[in-house]
Amino acid sequence: MFVPLSIISEFLFVEPFIIFHVIEDRVTSFVLIVFISLMSAIVIPMNIYRIRTLQKSTTKIGGSIAGSIIGASAGICSCGPIGFSIISTFGTVAGAATAFLTNYEIPLRLASLLLLCLVYYTTVKSISIECKIQ
Amino acid sequence: MNKRLVVSVVFVVLVIVVAISFSSYQANLLEMHDKTKYLERIAAKTASPLVNLENGSPPLGSESAPVTIVEFGDYQCEACYHWFHNTRSTLIDNYIETGKAKLIFVDLPFLGRDSPIAAQASYCAEDQGKYWEYHTILYTFQDGPPDSGWADRDRLNSFAFSLDMNIDEFNECMDSSKYKKRVKANYDEAVKNGANSTPTFIIISQDGAIEKFAGAQPYPVFASMIESML
Repeated sequence: MFVPLSIISEFLFVEPFIIFHVIEDRVTSFVLIVFISLMSAIVIPMNIYRIRTLQKSTTKIGGSIAGSIIGASAGICSCGPIGFSIISTFGTVAGAATAFLTNYEIPLRLASLLLLCLVYYTTVKSISIECKIQ
Repeated sequence: MNKRLVVSVVFVVLVIVVAISFSSYQANLLEMHDKTKYLERIAAKTASPLVNLENGSPPLGSESAPVTIVEFGDYQCEACYHWFHNTRSTLIDNYIETGKAKLIFVDLPFLGRDSPIAAQASYCAEDQGKYWEYHTILYTFQDGPPDSGWADRDRLNSFAFSLDMNIDEFNECMDSSKYKKRVKANYDEAVKNGANSTPTFIIISQDGAIEKFAGAQPYPVFASMIESML
């Protein structure tokens, strides 16, 4: 998740050659991407384990996926190819939406991190309880 | 058993369909790549770039500089702002002022309704010999999301005023939408050349070789590309 997020947020460039570049103004955004990627990598497999092994409901994985999606979509640069495609297709309304994602990038990423932490906490608790020998 | 057989057959058919689709997609890509390379070879032979720059900005730097850096940008683009403030000045110091390269800005105004207006204002400033000063002021005072008002008509006028421009001439130029078609032509040229984000750069050598890449990439990328063309 870290690699696609870095490409979308324009920290990682693949052409003309692979280069990683974080400017000073965007260090906070980069740090948040690292934490979101880490939490997603922990939380999503945990919930997949819960569903497959313990055959529990799929509601909690919804939270982890929602957290990952919010974290990924916040900060999508409206100048980038995704923003260009959306704006070219849907016009100025889409421009306003992508601008919202860019401008509220930090709060949205913090919210997604919070959601992922909450899901982690509830998942750990759930797994601990469900694994007790009856 | 029958259910498993049906599922297996469906899965195999899906895999074959995906493989065939992917192969033809790859073939199309290769064909386009070959076509692009063919066009580049033609361009190299005729020594004329594929990019039509006649509607772009006046060149920054010597017109006889061997390498041309074309920037497709939007004045409301945050990434363009970052490139302007983090990379551009070093590029100017090391390559443009030394006569090795020249920079031409071509508008790709897609982010909002103020984007093409700001682009038109830059050409109205060009009429008074202040294109690059106006270009600089737009990227210096970029403030807030697209269409937040930082580049509305009043602000554009205030930028012109701060550059000691003739405001009556500027207003006449803007009110008549004198450069609306020029900005549209630049937009079309950018899209024609495959620009789908801002900033996008095309670096053209003297013999017509082209390198294209996108994003507010750091200075070493530009240095590497330009050095390979000198």
